[in-house]
Amino acid sequence: MELFVQILLAGAIMLAIAVVFGVILVVCSHFLTQKKDERLEKIEGLLARSNCGGCGRAGCAQFAEALLKGEAKLSDCHVTTAANKEKIAEILGGGDVGEETVAVVHCNGGNACYNKYDYQGYGDCASCELLAGGIKACPVGCIGKKTCVGTCPFGALSVEDGGYAVVDKEKCTSCGACISECPKGIISRIPKNAKVFIACSNHGKGKDVMELCKRGCIGCGICAKNCPHGAIEMKDGLPQIDYSKCTGCLVCAEKCPRKCIKEH
Amino acid sequence: MTASLISVMFAAVISQNIVLSQYQGICPFLGVSKKMSSAAGMGFAVIFVLAISSVFCWLVYNYILLPLELDYLYTMAFILVIASLVQLLEMVLKRFSPTLYSALGVYLPLITTNCAILGTANSAVVYNSYNFLYTFGVSIATGVGFLLAICLLAGIRLKTDNASEIPKCFKGFPITLVTAAIMAMAFAGFSGILG
Repeated sequence: MELFVQILLAGAIMLAIAVVFGVILVVCSHFLTQKKDERLEKIEGLLARSNCGGCGRAGCAQFAEALLKGEAKLSDCHVTTAANKEKIAEILGGGDVGEETVAVVHCNGGNACYNKYDYQGYGDCASCELLAGGIKACPVGCIGKKTCVGTCPFGALSVEDGGYAVVDKEKCTSCGACISECPKGIISRIPKNAKVFIACSNHGKGKDVMELCKRGCIGCGICAKNCPHGAIEMKDGLPQIDYSKCTGCLVCAEKCPRKCIKEH
Repeated sequence: MTASLISVMFAAVISQNIVLSQYQGICPFLGVSKKMSSAAGMGFAVIFVLAISSVFCWLVYNYILLPLELDYLYTMAFILVIASLVQLLEMVLKRFSPTLYSALGVYLPLITTNCAILGTANSAVVYNSYNFLYTFGVSIATGVGFLLAICLLAGIRLKTDNASEIPKCFKGFPITLVTAAIMAMAFAGFSGILG
């Protein structure tokens, strides 16, 4: 009987300690929690919630906070759909929505680009890049060892038979993870509704590029001369497409003698 | 007294390191040591929580459990104290020091249930019956030991995760565990220094 009382007593005292802590916690949470801005929850709900980190914040929740404080721009996020962004802009009372974009790899060399040496080490492009600037003769040629494939949180990149990385337009959310990881820096964003893109990044002269790669841009300017809308301009040995003028007629892609303007 | 406090604290950092010689707090040691920045964040959060929680555990043990002759319930009481204390701390920090709150981030609630916190409170307050000052000093030193160990491991993992010579079967956690074992042996070499 005495033992029983002792057990009960011990239980009661522990329970009392727990209740005291519980009460302290409840009281404190009542006094200490700040009222959360209800806009914050709405914005968080509208964001893509992929937590990709492409905006430079730790996650979508932090980005939403930064948006409310005015520290971040809505166009920093490339993953959220345009419709949702407009709703967020409404909540925030204005703000640059930005254009919907996708990433593209500005190279179609791959196996068509000559190798400087035979690489038999382990690892991806980043490790290959450490050895004399990568295996490819072209200094801005896709190495094709899948650094971007491993980085993409959405599985939108792949390296196929061509030996160079290709972005799947449907899966790409334009988060920008591959753009910062590619050791060659040849991935960038283009508008989502664009029809063509330049699949080469080499600014070199025609003869030099020909020695490096079978499909590199030789800077002949045929695309710029033939574009019926004047959307292409030659700049520093590479064509540049003004996507606001481009209608997607694909004349440039047909006329390019090196086939390095590609349909998107 | 100062000398013995220093030697006890030194032991808690190096030769009696919480992770490498007492094998407590292994889960964050392996789980959060992939990046140096997250390892450091975890380490500082552990120091912070350890210092505060063991002090409160000491108070509860010496002023509530011992007078009531309930000291055999210390494990339960400490779990209670630590869990509610971390919750409370989180609220207070969120309200009064958002900077510190965002710096400690997710690691603060994560270590509520960490065995290193409970283990240090147990050993300092109960097994060694340290006085208040000693408990505080030892718990800070234990946290520093954790920070040291996890940052060292994070630095080594940066190399081993990218090394090419490691056989496939050793990649990832196996090589990390081997590394931790060698680190533990190295730390054991300090035993005997300073008391």
